[in-house]
Amino acid sequence: MTTESPPLTSGIDATQIKKYVPLGILVVGVVLLQLVYGSSVGFPARLDTLFSGPVDSMGEWIRDNRRSHALFTGFFNPLTDTIDWAITSLESLLLWLPWYVVLAVAFYLPFRTGSWKQGAIAAGVLLYTGLIGLWAPTMETLSLMFTAVFISVIIGVPLGIFGARRPRVERIMRPILDAMQTVPAFVYFLPLLGFFGVGAVNATVATVIFALPPVVRLTTLGIRQVPEQTIEASRVYGATKWQTTLKVEIPMALPTILTGLTQTIMLALGIVVLAALIGAGGLGENVFQSLSQRRTGRGIAAGLAIVAVAMVLERVWRSFATLDPSKRAPQRIRRAGLVAIGGATVVGRALGAVEFPKVWRLSAFDPIDNVVTWARDNLSWITRPFNDFFVGEIIVPVRRFLTDDLAWPVLIFVTAWLFWRVKGWRSAIFGAMAVATIGLIGMWELSINTLVQVMAATVISVAIAIPIGVWAGRKPRVEAALGPILDALQTVPSLVYIIPVVILFTVGVVPGLIASVLYAIVPGIRITALGIRQVPEESVEASRTFGATPRQTLVGVRVPLAAPTIMAAINQVIMMVLAMVIIAGFVGGGGLGFETIRALTRSLFGLGFEVGLALVLMAMILDRYTQAWGERLQPPPGA
Amino acid sequence: MDAASPTCLEIRGTWKIFGTKAERALELAAAGRSRVEILEATGCTIGVRDVSFDVARGETFVVMGLSGSGKSTLIRCIAQLTKVTEGVVRLDGQDLTAMNEDQLREVRRQKLSMVFQHFGLLPHRRVIDNVAYGLEVQGMAKAERHAAAKQVLEVVGLDGWGDHYPQQLSGGMQQRVGLARALAVDPEVLFFDEPFSALDPLIRRDMQDELMSLQQDMHRTIVFITHDFAEAIKLGDRIAVMKDGAVDQIGTAAELITSPATDYVKEFTKDVPKAKVLRARDVMHPANGAATSGSVHGDELIERILPTLLIDPTPVTVVDGAGTPIGIVDRAAVAAVLEA
Ligand SMILES: Nc1ncnc2c1ncn2[C@@H]1O[C@H](COP(=O)(O)OP(=O)(O)OP(=O)(O)O)[C@@H](O)[C@H]1O
Ligand SMILES: [Mg+2]
Repeated sequence: MTTESPPLTSGIDATQIKKYVPLGILVVGVVLLQLVYGSSVGFPARLDTLFSGPVDSMGEWIRDNRRSHALFTGFFNPLTDTIDWAITSLESLLLWLPWYVVLAVAFYLPFRTGSWKQGAIAAGVLLYTGLIGLWAPTMETLSLMFTAVFISVIIGVPLGIFGARRPRVERIMRPILDAMQTVPAFVYFLPLLGFFGVGAVNATVATVIFALPPVVRLTTLGIRQVPEQTIEASRVYGATKWQTTLKVEIPMALPTILTGLTQTIMLALGIVVLAALIGAGGLGENVFQSLSQRRTGRGIAAGLAIVAVAMVLERVWRSFATLDPSKRAPQRIRRAGLVAIGGATVVGRALGAVEFPKVWRLSAFDPIDNVVTWARDNLSWITRPFNDFFVGEIIVPVRRFLTDDLAWPVLIFVTAWLFWRVKGWRSAIFGAMAVATIGLIGMWELSINTLVQVMAATVISVAIAIPIGVWAGRKPRVEAALGPILDALQTVPSLVYIIPVVILFTVGVVPGLIASVLYAIVPGIRITALGIRQVPEESVEASRTFGATPRQTLVGVRVPLAAPTIMAAINQVIMMVLAMVIIAGFVGGGGLGFETIRALTRSLFGLGFEVGLALVLMAMILDRYTQAWGERLQPPPGA
Repeated sequence: MDAASPTCLEIRGTWKIFGTKAERALELAAAGRSRVEILEATGCTIGVRDVSFDVARGETFVVMGLSGSGKSTLIRCIAQLTKVTEGVVRLDGQDLTAMNEDQLREVRRQKLSMVFQHFGLLPHRRVIDNVAYGLEVQGMAKAERHAAAKQVLEVVGLDGWGDHYPQQLSGGMQQRVGLARALAVDPEVLFFDEPFSALDPLIRRDMQDELMSLQQDMHRTIVFITHDFAEAIKLGDRIAVMKDGAVDQIGTAAELITSPATDYVKEFTKDVPKAKVLRARDVMHPANGAATSGSVHGDELIERILPTLLIDPTPVTVVDGAGTPIGIVDRAAVAAVLEA
């Protein structure tokens, strides 16, 4: 929807001029604002204490009242204790069981529902974690993630059902869920510190907040997709609402709910590493150690163990939901399996053969370090100039231009103009207010710093991802070949591949950007390929019959028809880049990321709040803008 | 309450309007506006427009009409799967529209069941558990309901398929499961919403025959929806023809064919092989003193009288079961209906 109305007195000249009106507004606005405010550098009014003051005193209040106030003694502390109890009991159980019994259970659960292959994979990847000497931290991480996923399910599924029943509830819930997911997960750590303290519980709650949305969304979707007739069939036989929900809707929505659960597990996996920051222990700590010691090999080893945990979890959770009961293993065999597991436990405990034998050590992965070191020593003639050029000639000048040369109202105006063009003046007001708020809370320079990095990484990612995605979309073989690489890039926790990049480029902006690009091109390629593949064959053939060359068909038919999907790909790229650029604060990326970590490690609540708010706003601006653009590219509805 | 009365279902002045401005739409409709006009003015779609009819106990009542004519909406109104906007639906004298959800649930459990076009089976349950579903929600114990379901599976010819999953069965067999599920609860009224439309023609015919023979034994009240006039004629004691949410005409197949109320009805009956459907009593007229030769039973198909009339132009006397003359059939009358 645009705000323009067709001119009453038409004429070629009038419409021609009209086309340039928006552009004229932009130019005039920018020039005027720059002339008027050009002398004022940076954002003038700093109302940061407006928010951070109260937040800081609230932090203090929490610290003082943790042990006494009813809010804590009556609610948060018991909640913390319960979650903590769940995690530690599960962990103790897993460590109490002989390791081969744990493997057997990992095999048995998927096997029971008819898939011995999935069982073998689950047991196999767990075996790996034991072999490299990471059994104990793996069990720790497994317990944490299992608990987080469990809580996500018991909260998310009912919420999803509720949303499916009440469209109005869903309409309120959706933006909240979106927001929960756009914010990089570890932004949640700090505010949660006040309520749940440091450690595994905080990490679990943060994981639940971050990883909950897919379960809710896909439960709603799954329930909505249950055919109307099936539900009516249930009703017409006199089933109550509850009976219909339990016997019809949930079972039929299960495949979709499980898809949501897979996504939830993948999201949770990303947080596990960061959870080490607040003392959650487990495999994340191994990764951080490797990062600080610059041991790429060990980092990769531990990173793969985290992936293993996710793989096991996914299979175990799936096995709880028997999708196709006809495939279930016969009852006789299932019983025998249980008996064998029980027997092995008793015998194993009696003999004291419980702990995983020391086979390999993490040092088995050390040779990888040599490769990286060699690369660092021998590739510095490329990496150093690249680093210097990129930072010195692109990042820093652009940042300077935006912060020092451009008057602050210009940025607000340009944002508003951009929103106005794609979505109308309401959105323009939102954009302007969001940018202004970032300035008001004193996050102007830091946010611009982060924004420039996000833009740089996005441009590079898009330039790589879209051509590859188009290529993969047209050639299934290319897509098949890329599959495993993309899977690996996306499942291995991002910090893991920051390690070699840091060693190659030393700390600074560039490693973060490279890691962001590696991380973000995956959804970029995937979604673009999907969009290209979904172009109806008929449209392509129609174009061919008119004698279009393959190139003309690509440019004239495939890409335009796939444009909304490609825009969704760009949206994903930006969101991923944003999350990664923040994480890159660990390796000297600066900007909001660094401040987040500073706030987190020093428990600076006020600062944490400001940084978090700035991040939320930035994420919302980028997300809404790209989504609005995608909407504009959609063909008009209805014929 | 009134289970002995010959009328099972009474539909009175029933309206269903989709949309938020139902009141306004009703007013406009009362003022005689068309469906399209009302849609334009209020954004409301008229699903069912002032429909009234009775269904007798043990009758098979067919509702037919083109796609979008409101058949499903009507049946859903009767079964209270959707709230009627206006009007009354009585089952055994009880007004269903006035009941709350709990009362309705009781009525459904005791009296209703339904068979759907796309079967509406539960893919995660075995056939036997699908069939037993109605009994299960009533709270019947597992052994008992499985025994009942097994019996019904036998009736519909699915002996031994109980442990399979619906998706492992062919379309025809799946609909037998749907039918078995409907019969398992021993319902008083069966609703069928185009149950055989998704099946291929041969299987469809089998299923129709099967339903007819079942109905001969069980004498349930059936409301059957179809868009296939041949099916309507085959199964229906009476047929209601719907157009744009309203009923154009209600009558037996013969009544619709011999005296269609509207062009729309006529359009349906046009291609019907009338000689195979109409009977002597449908085309006869009162004896006018003209000479006749021979006599036929009133239920004789035209097809069977045709050769006689072609050989000998003299009208034939039509008699009832007792042999009493009730009218005559002549060439002109037969020709008139055959060419109509
Ligand atoms: N839930 C609804 N909301 C709005 N309009 C509806 C709804 N359900 C049905 N309609 C409209 O009511 C009209 C009648 O639909 P209905 O499904 O009863 O037709 P039908 O005769 O069963 O057609 P078919 O043979 O295709 O099943 C249609 O115009 C349809 O668009
Ligand atoms: Mg229908």
